Amino acid sequence: MARTADPQPSRIVAISPDDGSAIDLRSPALAAVLSWAVPGLGQFYQGRTTKGGLFMAAILTTFVVGLWLGGGKVVYASWKPGDARWAFVCQAGAGLVALPAVVQSSQLLGPLRQPFVLGGGLLPVGFMAPPLAPGQYVSRAYADRLARHVPGIKPDDFFDKPPLKQFRRDQLAQWHRQLGKFFEIGTLYTMLAGMLNLLVIYDAWAGPLGPSEEEKKRRVAEAAASAPSAPADPNP
Amino acid sequence: MVATTTLTLLAVSPWLAQGLFQAPLLSPLLASLAGRVPGIFFGLPLVALASLIFAATHHEDPAAIRLATVHWTVWLGGMLGIVLAGVLLLGWLQ
Repeated sequence: MARTADPQPSRIVAISPDDGSAIDLRSPALAAVLSWAVPGLGQFYQGRTTKGGLFMAAILTTFVVGLWLGGGKVVYASWKPGDARWAFVCQAGAGLVALPAVVQSSQLLGPLRQPFVLGGGLLPVGFMAPPLAPGQYVSRAYADRLARHVPGIKPDDFFDKPPLKQFRRDQLAQWHRQLGKFFEIGTLYTMLAGMLNLLVIYDAWAGPLGPSEEEKKRRVAEAAASAPSAPADPNP
Repeated sequence: MVATTTLTLLAVSPWLAQGLFQAPLLSPLLASLAGRVPGIFFGLPLVALASLIFAATHHEDPAAIRLATVHWTVWLGGMLGIVLAGVLLLGWLQ
């Protein structure tokens, strides 16, 4: 029995608002997911390398600068009463760069009571882990690492509660004292990076949004003004 | 080339991050910025970023993106400047 040829799969395209050319969106859903995971990666997948590179550089740089301004402490996931970190909902928009915060939070609150050591020990202790609240229990190993490597935390800051240790102070208040306005500025930078990535995800899913109505009217008016005037009718 | 660059960056990112967060020169820089630069000026790069992303998601051609970025920067900066002027005026009147 002869096989029939597979029908040509339909392509999903967007129209460029600048020159009217077709933009092959390939698989828009996959492109959107890739753009969430790494800003601009969805555009690379679609072959729109210039925009992909632009988005990747702009959003990741803003996120990293925000993280640096905040001393590596502004991106964390916490839902404790008194420290519900709603900013993380926006920061999570930046994709996989914010994902370690979820992992660290679950590790700190889980049975082990300590976050992972990230970067093979190269990153600060408790990187992207939520701050310790007064009375919070942590593992002895984590308490010892904090006392050894984090300025402002001493072994006396922990009650000994075998097999764990209990933190006596408020680490979030410490961070605010150490960083001053940079805690808020760093949070703002990382939040904005995440929120703007939502526009990038939309661009990967549906193509460019196109000019505004005002811009369209302006272009029509310019085209009408520059169009040659119609010749006079020889037979009125 | 993109894949190679991405993988390379991922591979060296722990050392990059260590340099970023523990570099001895950057903390004094930050401390001097804290003292001398009003916090509001840290918002200017965000205005530029928002304008760039907004322009890039409305256009495809690089020249059109550049033009739209300037357009949106002027708009956003102008609107925020008006709001700031209003707030300063209210503060001065009180």
